[in-house]
Amino acid sequence: MSFVSYAMILAGGLGSRLCILSEKRAKPAVPFGGKYRIIDFTLSNCVNSGIFDVGILTQYRPLSLRDHIGIGRPWDLDRKRGGVELLQPFQGWAETDWYRGTADAIHQNWTRVEEREAEHILVLSGDHVYRMDYRPMIEAHLARGADATVAVTEVPREEARGFGIVDLDGESVVRGFLEKPASPPSGTISMGVYVFRTSALHAVLREDSERDTAHDFGRNILPEMVRGGRVLGYRHEGYWQDIGTLDSYYRANLDLLKPHPPFPLEDPRWPVFTPSTEFPPARIGARAEVRSSIVTHGSIVNGRVERSVLFPGAVVEEGATVRDSILMGETWVGPQAVLDRVILDKRVHIGPRARVGFGDDRTPNRSCPEHLSSGITIVGKETRIPEGTTIGRNCRVSANLIEEDFRDDTIPSGGVMERELNVAH
Amino acid sequence: MTAIPPVLTLVLAGGRSDALHALGRIRTASALPYGGKYRVIDFTLSNCVHSGLNRIGILTQYAPLSLHGHIGIGRAWDLDRRDGGIRLLQPYVRQRETNWYRGTADALLQNRNVIEDAQARHILVLSGDLVYKMDYAELIRFHEERDAALTVATVEAPSEEPDRYGFVRADRSGRVTALEEKPERAYGRVVSAAIYVFRARDLMHRLRRPEGGPDLVRDVVLPMIAEGAPVFAYPHRGYWRDIGTVESYYESNMDLVRPVPPLNLYDPDWLIYTPSEDRSPAVVGAEASVSQSLISHGSRVEGEVRRSVLFPGVHIGPGAVVEDSIVMHDARIAPGARLRRAIVDKRVAIGRGAVLGEAGPGGEGLCVVGKGSMIPAGATIGPRTLIEIGVSERDYPGRDIAAGSVIRPR
Repeated sequence: MSFVSYAMILAGGLGSRLCILSEKRAKPAVPFGGKYRIIDFTLSNCVNSGIFDVGILTQYRPLSLRDHIGIGRPWDLDRKRGGVELLQPFQGWAETDWYRGTADAIHQNWTRVEEREAEHILVLSGDHVYRMDYRPMIEAHLARGADATVAVTEVPREEARGFGIVDLDGESVVRGFLEKPASPPSGTISMGVYVFRTSALHAVLREDSERDTAHDFGRNILPEMVRGGRVLGYRHEGYWQDIGTLDSYYRANLDLLKPHPPFPLEDPRWPVFTPSTEFPPARIGARAEVRSSIVTHGSIVNGRVERSVLFPGAVVEEGATVRDSILMGETWVGPQAVLDRVILDKRVHIGPRARVGFGDDRTPNRSCPEHLSSGITIVGKETRIPEGTTIGRNCRVSANLIEEDFRDDTIPSGGVMERELNVAH
Repeated sequence: MTAIPPVLTLVLAGGRSDALHALGRIRTASALPYGGKYRVIDFTLSNCVHSGLNRIGILTQYAPLSLHGHIGIGRAWDLDRRDGGIRLLQPYVRQRETNWYRGTADALLQNRNVIEDAQARHILVLSGDLVYKMDYAELIRFHEERDAALTVATVEAPSEEPDRYGFVRADRSGRVTALEEKPERAYGRVVSAAIYVFRARDLMHRLRRPEGGPDLVRDVVLPMIAEGAPVFAYPHRGYWRDIGTVESYYESNMDLVRPVPPLNLYDPDWLIYTPSEDRSPAVVGAEASVSQSLISHGSRVEGEVRRSVLFPGVHIGPGAVVEDSIVMHDARIAPGARLRRAIVDKRVAIGRGAVLGEAGPGGEGLCVVGKGSMIPAGATIGPRTLIEIGVSERDYPGRDIAAGSVIRPR
């Protein structure tokens, strides 16, 4: 039995690279994999690892996350001792302010750690999809008397740029820590999963709060601890996916559809918990064709669905075709509509005979080419696309648009559709 | 939802249904899995909460564990409440007159302290083994408006089996003049829906009569009609099915996969609640073909599924074909197996290439495979075969089982 019983989850981030998916919700609250939100994986890892005392640090658009977590029932976190608590910035007597960074968020809530008289705590990120038993890592941390232990995983070196690169020696001691370098020396990266000795962490946090830094775990705290203390790396084997970009979000969802998914959701020994929906089972109609797809309760398929993820209440009408797409909750795809490499946010309505993700033109998105160039078209929450509209690839269609907002019946590839601005070419 | 007077709801859920064969031996009919993710009693309980009724007692006796586990503290229906909520009422030992419930009226009588403590004006007596959607608030308003001692909900008989129903005759005002229980010949089409609202004092008065018997219909309802008490019929329009036999259970499930199902489970204002299972979404594989079916979470379909209801965690291997069947939780259908008109209980394993229920010289008919049983690879099992609970490979006399056989564990 380990001595670590408190986990703090960083869930306040803006997630700007997720485009309009995180426009109205924090990244950990983005729907994933048919019935989950991204934070479900971290929360389920906690309870499956026997950790039932969790603080979630929120700042950016916390309402969706707050509704999702509620009192923590689905995770058995509605408890008398421990449980789950959302820690939003607040005003008090002393100097308090919005969280200036991830480290500052923990520092501002340090009383929570003190109250528990915990010698060690877990610090986690709420925006990764992975399955991990934290107990062996905690045991290694305790057995080797570390000040901090960082979970590490391997990614291809060319993809490592967006992460913190960890330099481990033969004894798994961290010799260096480089946050998001332009040319990564290796593909060994930090997963954003840490165990800290609280006294050591507190000393560094206190110092950092006085200085003019980014107050960021990866940028400031970890390098500081590597300089002054004993930091270990712990290798995690198995699937781990950061949901930082639209492409990685899309890929992680479609990973689930492989014949042998790298991350099977179905494991009775390690369930992923989430609030249930009250919908009836998925209903597949007489003329439906469904292949290589995920269907969930409340989804209704009367058309053709291939390599796609249907969230609860997604409806595909007769004659419609949905390929390589992600349809979030309560979306509706009208008769004869065709979707190809499309992400629909919740309650999007696709009129009959509309074509979304159409054509061979791969022009990157004109307003965010760096995030929208792989051919995915994304439609924001509750937007209603009129009957017969054609929308190309790499397009971004904002949330809450109604039929009347669409003045043209065609949006070419790379287009951006927003209210009033109309189509910008 | 309208304001309704104080009502205590008692749900009868303790019966044993021999006509459900292996499906009903390990659980009472109310606890039967239904419609892909529900238990039958979910309809009654969801009706209650949608009707604003939240003081509910569930009377259980026969094989109640499955039901108790399902209901828990009533969370799924928001019935884990400080006031009211759900109570499971099992028979218990007392200082005098200890007995099992000898019948429905006796079950109510043994719970007379529960009824009296509730200080309700009306007692709604329901059956947990019926599939329907009904706003009880309207029924109760009807009952109050007529100042009835008893109101019996009625429906049009859903099948031509007179011996399964109680036929109700009423005059123009709706007052019941006769009730014929399970006659040999049908009396018209209007039958009792086994949904009763009693004025509380009239019910207690009847139950306490020394000459009273143990059965609610025979010993309470019929004497009330005979003695001229104000008993009214409340016509319920809409889907209503008693699932007390294998055939009626099967047909009612199959109703859900019709092109236009007679029972709408998707009405957002009247959802049917049930405890969630924490399973992953269903996966339909690259070679799969699915039509006219219900699929639940945790399922993985690699083969063909037509006109069937799949419960959570069902795996259907490549090349397997499941038609016109009900497959319950965590059943495994191995590659190449074929099922037709079968009801497969929980955790059944159907072996590679096994064939179950295909019509042949022995005609058609339903097969039932009891909980946890297996069918050996390559076996051919004729229609109308009953495979009992817990049957293993060595219990089969051979690989060819004739239509209408019964296979039991040795």
